[in-house]
Amino acid sequence: MALLEVNDLKTYFRTDDGIVKAVDGVNFTVEKGKTLGIVGESGCGKSVTCLTMMGLNNRRNTITSGEALFKGEDLLTMKPSKLRDVRGNDIAMIFQDPMTSLNPVHTIGRQLVEAIQLHRDVTTKAAKTRALELLKAVGIPRADRRIGDYPHQFSGGMRQRVMIAMALINDPDLLIADEPTTALDVTTQAQILELMNRLQREFGSAIILVTHDLGVVAETADDVVVMYAARVVENAPVENLFNRPHMPYTWGLLGSLPRLDADMERLTQIPGQPPSLLNPPRGCRFHPRCPYVMNVCKEKEPELQPISNDPAHLQACHLDEQTKDREAAKLLAGTLAEVS
Amino acid sequence: MATDVSSNDRSRITSGDELLVVEDLKKHFPVTRGIVFQKEVASVKAVDGVSFTVRSGETLGVVGESGCGKSTMARCVMRLLDPTGGKVIFDGRDITNLSRADMRPIRRELMMIFQDPFASLNARKRVGFIIAEALEVHKMGTAGENKRRVQELLEVVGLNPEHYNRFPHEFSGGQRQRIGVARALAVNPKLIVCDEPVSALDVSVQAQILNLLKDLQDQFGLTYIFIAHDLNVVRHISDRVLVMYLGKVAETAQRDQLYTEPKHPYTGALLSAVPIPNPAQGRARKPIVLQGDVPSPLNPPSACNFHPRCPRFQEGHCDVEPPQLYSFGEGHVAACHYPLEGWPLSEEEMRRPSGRAAPAPSEQSAEPTPTT
Repeated sequence: MALLEVNDLKTYFRTDDGIVKAVDGVNFTVEKGKTLGIVGESGCGKSVTCLTMMGLNNRRNTITSGEALFKGEDLLTMKPSKLRDVRGNDIAMIFQDPMTSLNPVHTIGRQLVEAIQLHRDVTTKAAKTRALELLKAVGIPRADRRIGDYPHQFSGGMRQRVMIAMALINDPDLLIADEPTTALDVTTQAQILELMNRLQREFGSAIILVTHDLGVVAETADDVVVMYAARVVENAPVENLFNRPHMPYTWGLLGSLPRLDADMERLTQIPGQPPSLLNPPRGCRFHPRCPYVMNVCKEKEPELQPISNDPAHLQACHLDEQTKDREAAKLLAGTLAEVS
Repeated sequence: MATDVSSNDRSRITSGDELLVVEDLKKHFPVTRGIVFQKEVASVKAVDGVSFTVRSGETLGVVGESGCGKSTMARCVMRLLDPTGGKVIFDGRDITNLSRADMRPIRRELMMIFQDPFASLNARKRVGFIIAEALEVHKMGTAGENKRRVQELLEVVGLNPEHYNRFPHEFSGGQRQRIGVARALAVNPKLIVCDEPVSALDVSVQAQILNLLKDLQDQFGLTYIFIAHDLNVVRHISDRVLVMYLGKVAETAQRDQLYTEPKHPYTGALLSAVPIPNPAQGRARKPIVLQGDVPSPLNPPSACNFHPRCPRFQEGHCDVEPPQLYSFGEGHVAACHYPLEGWPLSEEEMRRPSGRAAPAPSEQSAEPTPTT
């Protein structure tokens, strides 16, 4: 059984302008000890998917349906008190902005101890020892002295380490990292990614890594979900996604990336803007921007289905497979020529 | 070290096609104590002795971590901040100490594109006004002419000319950045300073803006200083690249040289930290992970300011003697006593420098050039 199984997850927000379908039928699974990368542009529903699973949306204006089975139990219908036990204990979350996700008026030691004592019946002293252990594990120098410091005394990378320490303090089975390195510099990003990889090996947690950086996904994820306009458009093991991408949107993303490992005179650009989720386009949501658009794309929304010779590689596109193989090969010849 | 170029000696500066020459630029922000009698107790050396040139028609990429002084440097070049020391020579003219009035005609030739497309456009003005404002300030045409010019510009940057009367909030992030580009182009500048123009944008939109900037450069012969922290983006757009660390130049080189044979360990660490969007290749290599954070510019480390994080730190040398900018031929300079022997290097090789850069250079061309 998969650790987490998300089936037909939908999250709609009621707003003054109408109903925003922020997540509209998303499916994926996360296996124990594996990393799932979720990629997509801003506003495609990556973060909302995570927040919905954690029950962190505002209940007043949110309509949720579908199911998110964590160890066989549905997180969406769970009682709030039960969910509070799961949250921060079995499932932990790291947020994008390390500047705003720590409480500025408490020392980090106190915040870490709180996270432990919420879920475990231990003395403050024991909790403090555990907190110190974790701060050392995430590489905070002189942890025994810094445990009494306030968040503003830490740099961005250090705060993100504290966030990771806090997330891992109760040995969660699943860690949801929502753009954990977006606000950081490349050198700090490398430190944090290495840390997350190392901790995953040591603690054996599964990770959902939400990001818009395909480079980060390529280096850390085992499986990748590509989202576009609130839907999953491709879901595949990481090698297959990068070596045989099967959906024009993924091609666009890969082609629009300036990269160190290849020379390109011009970047392939995806024309236009992502659609509004208030009234997404009929048929395939990518069709107004797709260079391969056919008549069927404007009428019928493609289903997420496996490609013929690889059941693990799911994609949602009407294009026939010969054309896809040809175009994907062209894309890779342009960008990956130097590798082979 | 001062150079012998005086501001009047224009013939010497303009020899060649250098559009912008920056010499030993410094910007120190004072830290004061006291309310009535303010006493300067320290200074933040945001930019501390940066020299570079930009040739006409080229793109100079500037990279570095946040807080390394990239933006302050750009603002000093634009004279939006007054430099503490050094010289900025634009188009053969020393503009470092020009008065506001004298500066005004020059501002026509020096424009800027800002990072945040949401904060850099006045939300209460129509797009037509925003773009035409520079034209009006410089009295460059009648109202009718300006309107035609604005519509032409909107078309050039890929927007609908009929959107002349819209407000900024009616546009998406990428479209706003196009408006920012149109505004910078309005007065036919020679040099455009782009301060992180694509960092706030999604990859697909980022590609649109990068392509647009390249096309405009070909079309109008523009010169760019392109500041970014994304090394992929800088590699894509630049002809030459300047790497900054803590207010100083770490390395400058032609684009291909910098990315294939970096000499400064900091450049090496930056390059190896960039994730590669190719699983097989990305996982095979082992990034050189720098320890710690960028030190505070209020109290920078002694001598080579990179030494506390440097994998090839040699005690008694790197922390005592500040490195000069050593030359490696063809305009490739790096401020390091123990430059990298090759690239890529393993972490082990990174730790064991084989030789010092100076004073005995291995090549003829590797003669140490004094920092300016």
